[in-house]
Amino acid sequence: MTVEFWGHEFKVNVILGCLGGFLIAIVSSMFGFGGGPFMVPLMTVGLGLPMYVVVGSSLLAIFFNTLMGTARHYQFGNFDPVFFLIMFPAAILGGFIAPQIAKRVSPLTVKRIAVAGLVLLALNLLGVY
Amino acid sequence: MKQRIALLISIFVMAVCIPAGGASAAGPPDAAGVAAAPTIQIDKTSIDNGGSIIVTGTAPVGKPVYIEVWADNQVRASRFDAEVDKDTGKRPYVLYLTNEMPAYYKIFVPKDQKENLDKIKKEGKKWSFSKALKDLGADAAYSVPAKAKIDRYQATLMGSIIGSRGDLLPQMDDKENRKRSMQLVKARFVNPDKVLGAEVVVNPDGSYTAEIKVRKGLTPGKYNIVAAVDKNLRSRPLTFENRISFPLIYLSNAGTSLNIFGPFFLTLAIAIFGVLMGAGGGFIMNPLLVSIWPLPHTIVAGTVMPTVLFSQGSGIYNYSKIKFLNWKLGVTIGLAMVFGGFIGPKLTELITLAQFKFVFGWILLILAGLMFWQTTPGYISKNKKEQAILKEFKKKAEEAAGAKKKA
Repeated sequence: MTVEFWGHEFKVNVILGCLGGFLIAIVSSMFGFGGGPFMVPLMTVGLGLPMYVVVGSSLLAIFFNTLMGTARHYQFGNFDPVFFLIMFPAAILGGFIAPQIAKRVSPLTVKRIAVAGLVLLALNLLGVY
Repeated sequence: MKQRIALLISIFVMAVCIPAGGASAAGPPDAAGVAAAPTIQIDKTSIDNGGSIIVTGTAPVGKPVYIEVWADNQVRASRFDAEVDKDTGKRPYVLYLTNEMPAYYKIFVPKDQKENLDKIKKEGKKWSFSKALKDLGADAAYSVPAKAKIDRYQATLMGSIIGSRGDLLPQMDDKENRKRSMQLVKARFVNPDKVLGAEVVVNPDGSYTAEIKVRKGLTPGKYNIVAAVDKNLRSRPLTFENRISFPLIYLSNAGTSLNIFGPFFLTLAIAIFGVLMGAGGGFIMNPLLVSIWPLPHTIVAGTVMPTVLFSQGSGIYNYSKIKFLNWKLGVTIGLAMVFGGFIGPKLTELITLAQFKFVFGWILLILAGLMFWQTTPGYISKNKKEQAILKEFKKKAEEAAGAKKKA
């Protein structure tokens, strides 16, 4: 498939993209997360697309998954409305506060902290400590 | 001959007692034939977000006394049976599901069983509720979850692919229902601590006392309490009320009460951090939620997912305004993802909380690896160029969109 983006043309391996997207969607909807951090490497490294094409389009792809996953979780009775009403405003508020802080911190530092935090959390989940 | 007559008489007495014992649950305790049933009193009729209740009463001399406590509020419990069947050697792949599990359930056994209970706790994750009940002699006291209506579905590979629960199998008989309900109790409450306690002190004269502690963060509403010495000798049920008040709130699907500020500030912090590190918060949110609060993983996955819908939607809107996304690419991969999103939520209920945490552990390690790679010098220098191009393109796009608006 050829993708045209702002005057540039890119050849995209649709099979790899769809298969990868499909697998990421299964795991992410099963465990209830978005899947962005996996989609972006898939599309940049796997499909060889530049970042500026990926940022918007990956979000669009993920949105399909989130929409479907939400509907299915609701169907299976996994949705708790009160719990949702507690978390939803906080998530929106976070979306407004974050850009204010983002200007003041280096993304590299955030990522390094995130790596350490993720490893700690992962080891805890795996029962290492 | 005398023995036989005695036996006949005792059988007759038992036959009379069985229905009478059953009826005593609803009727007055002083009905005929219930004389031997244990009596029960409690020292208070309400508690505030947990507390302790002193239970006293008398039971036939020399018999152990079990106290069964359950909440009126009900929740869902499910268990996917994929273990090899000892008799047939096959894996059954049957999903058991009930919506009638009490949101709180616990059997208190005599204090002298404490050692046995400690042994069960030491068995770790593999403990079996039905074996525990037998070992503690509490089998006869177990009654309420056994009556829950349990649906079972035969799962198939094809069924899972098309995202159905499978074929609904015929209703189980009472004995099978009872057995499966015990497995569901374990699936729902996970730890032996939650469903078993050795608190009943039985005195030689037949009187008993027990201090029943109800934890914080449980379901509000009516709780029932019954003392039992065996299957047919049960006291009438007493009830007490567990009250919760703001900021505590009860999540009816999750069966848990929690302080609303807890998840609110956690979500806020994680949402901010998520945006800063360029990943949605779901990765950190879900494992933290199931670790901090006793929430079922199905509810967590199913409720966190919709919270990101809005931010994703607004992100797409902002990008589309400046024509900064490729619809063809996004929709093509998106359609493949729709199928994945159709299958995934079905699989959530097939795994246990322990498996959920385990797999999540590995997902986070992979994610940490990806993030670490993004902090390596090679990636950073490449990314700098990419980000510069990204900014340039975005600027162009914004200008173009702005120009159009003016025109």
